[in-house]
Amino acid sequence: MSGVRAVRISIESACEKQVQEVGLDGTETYLQPLSMSQNLARLAQRIDFSQGSGSEEEEAAGAEGDAQDWAGAGSSADQDDEEGLVKFQPSLWPWDSVRNNLRSALTEMCVLYDVLSIVRDKKFMTLDPVSQDALPPKQNPQTLQLISKKKSLAGAAQILLKGAERLTKSVTENQENKLQRDFNSELLRLRQHWKLRKVGDKILGDLSYRSAGSLFPHHGTFEVIKNTDIDLDKKIPEDYCPLDVQIPSDLEGSAYIKVSIQKQAPDIGDLGTVNLFKRPLPKSKPGSPHWQTKLEAAQNVLLCKEIFAQLSREAVQIKSQIPHIVVKNQIISQPFPSLQLSISLCHSSNDKKSQKSATEKPSPEDHLYVLEHNLHLLIREFHKQTLSSIMMPHPASAPFGHKRMRLSGPQAFDKNEINSLQSSEGLLEKIIKQAKHIFLRSRTAATIDSLASRIEDPQIQAHWSNINDVYESSVKVLITSQGYEQICKSIQLQLNIGVEQIRVVHRDGRVITLSHQEQELQDFLLSQFVMDLKVAVRLWFSFPVTSVKIFQKVMFYKIANGVIFVDHSKKCSGIKWKVETLFIKWSCLCLHLALASYDFFQNSFQIFSRNFDLKCLQINYKHKEAITSKGVLFLKNN
Amino acid sequence: MGVTCVSQMPVAEGKSVQQTVELLTRKLEILGAEKQGTFCVDCETYHTAASTLGSQGQAGKLMYVMHNSEYPLSCFALFENGPCLIADTNFDVLMVKLKGFFQSAKASKIETRGTRYQYCDFLVKVGTVTMGPSARGISVEVEYGPCVVASDCWSLLLEFLQSFLGSHTPGAPAVFGNRHDVVYGPADTMVQYMELFNKIRKQQQVPVAGIR
Repeated sequence: MSGVRAVRISIESACEKQVQEVGLDGTETYLQPLSMSQNLARLAQRIDFSQGSGSEEEEAAGAEGDAQDWAGAGSSADQDDEEGLVKFQPSLWPWDSVRNNLRSALTEMCVLYDVLSIVRDKKFMTLDPVSQDALPPKQNPQTLQLISKKKSLAGAAQILLKGAERLTKSVTENQENKLQRDFNSELLRLRQHWKLRKVGDKILGDLSYRSAGSLFPHHGTFEVIKNTDIDLDKKIPEDYCPLDVQIPSDLEGSAYIKVSIQKQAPDIGDLGTVNLFKRPLPKSKPGSPHWQTKLEAAQNVLLCKEIFAQLSREAVQIKSQIPHIVVKNQIISQPFPSLQLSISLCHSSNDKKSQKSATEKPSPEDHLYVLEHNLHLLIREFHKQTLSSIMMPHPASAPFGHKRMRLSGPQAFDKNEINSLQSSEGLLEKIIKQAKHIFLRSRTAATIDSLASRIEDPQIQAHWSNINDVYESSVKVLITSQGYEQICKSIQLQLNIGVEQIRVVHRDGRVITLSHQEQELQDFLLSQFVMDLKVAVRLWFSFPVTSVKIFQKVMFYKIANGVIFVDHSKKCSGIKWKVETLFIKWSCLCLHLALASYDFFQNSFQIFSRNFDLKCLQINYKHKEAITSKGVLFLKNN
Repeated sequence: MGVTCVSQMPVAEGKSVQQTVELLTRKLEILGAEKQGTFCVDCETYHTAASTLGSQGQAGKLMYVMHNSEYPLSCFALFENGPCLIADTNFDVLMVKLKGFFQSAKASKIETRGTRYQYCDFLVKVGTVTMGPSARGISVEVEYGPCVVASDCWSLLLEFLQSFLGSHTPGAPAVFGNRHDVVYGPADTMVQYMELFNKIRKQQQVPVAGIR
């Protein structure tokens, strides 16, 4: 502090006054800073009345701008003045713009107030919304359709779902109720299958075939009763049914018609025996209630009874050469002399006694199921005929009867045509014819098979036709020799097996009728065998001799199928040689035939010699070789 | 139904109807025909009733109702040159109902009865035509079964007729007429019978001596 000269510090205030002018001598003339009111005026000029209150950003900018202005009032006065000069009209008072703006604002406010007060009265002015154009659809028309479809589908789905719900509810209810079935619903089920009617307070049903055309006089009514023997305390059994049916006592159990063919004629004393064995009950469908099986069985019994009644009526009425015998439940007739056809009605009731006694097992060949089935079919056909529309007359005044019979008057049918219209055959005759045919056919087949197995050379083939009639079948029989099939094609027979006869049509056109005798057919086929043999043998012997060897006493020929030894005493040549060879050939032919025939007729060869016209009658047989009277030994290759 | 020819056999001189018939049948049997029962063809005549005639007073038409045992379930109704109706046997009952329109001519029922012979394809019927109790003539009908067109088999029929009728063989019946290649039917047979009956009706009666 001592010795150092004090420095003069000059302090100047920050806010300097603005320099107005600098004199020539360097003196500055300062502007007087603005007074408060002047400052305010300045600022008021800068209010922009056109700015809306809604624009916040501008407001913020404006506010910021104002803030800056407030802060830098001194330094930026010039700038502000310049800005202010733009809006400032030079000759006017600084508050002029403010005053003008305020005045115009007031005017507008007054106008608004007036309008609002008028509008409030609603006498002279009302407020109405300005109608605007509909908003353009923001989405595409396709999406709109899609959405509308979705909605409508959803509506439909709702309805369906409601319905499905209801159904499932009812089904579940049904399921529940099944266990506790009530009488009425069971009755409804019964009604779907059978005809019921109410008589007094009983419910009766009809199980006869009368509505289907039957004329059988059985009433066939069954009664429906309520099953009341249920004990509510105990548990309800699973197969409980509140409904029970009572069938007439003579239709109880099960029945069937047995058709059988026996070969031996029985004793008269045996006729009374009745074959009653219980056929296993036909399996009922698993879901069917017990009354259904009961009623069906009873209906079957009724049908069998009707069939049997019809058959026995015809058996008694129709006159035939050998009368039919009707005994108890059997009808016996003889289609062929040694044959017996018996049709019996086997009706077994459900008693336990009969079950014990039924030990006999039916042999499968005994019962001809085909004929039983055919009997059912025939009686149903008969029913249909009674009811068929060709019986109902058109016009209604025409007489009853078959349609063609009605036409026979106006179309002048003669007796032949009328007879052909009327089917005069009854059920029994038809069945007997069918049985005859079946028997004849099986016997023919057996004959052919036995011949085929017994005879090795030549061979027999039978081709049975698949398409047959009830009264006619056919079989084609070929007889060939091994190795000569192509050549021996001539033996082809067509057998038409009818009801009582067999008609044979040969390949060369001959028609031969054979009766039902088994032996006839056998003989005929054997003759055909031999025909074939002759052809074959002729060919056989036309094969050339392969080698000849001459020994002292014996000549040795070797041919394709064997060896021939000829005993000769002298040499011969020329014509004698030819004769000799011919004779050898001929005797070999006979030998071969004889050998072959020997296979057929083991016991009696006198028969074959008569039938087959062999020239060499004196033949001694020893095993498979034979010696002719002239001394030819022939060994056949096996 | 085959082509049929109906003709009349005149009674032989000095013989009765029955004897002539017997002659014929014997000839047939020698030929080899086999007897097959009897036949009958009958005819009734009806007038159209006077009440139905028009004011012009036209003559009533005659209607013939005929039956043939060859067609047992049929009934034939024909007018002279008019159509032939083939009907059911109920037609007879109908005629009873139509009494008002058709009146039966008295004593007009005429019929022919006799035996039926079969010779291979030929069916020969020889019958006695009777009207009431009296026999008036002999009818011979020959049918050739296999053919139905008249023009095709007339020559064959003629030959056959000649073989047993000899000189009394008839000419071609009027029904064959101009209609060639038309199928022959039972109606044509009945027309032939009707013509035959009319002819016999007009003939004078066979002398009484011949009936025995």
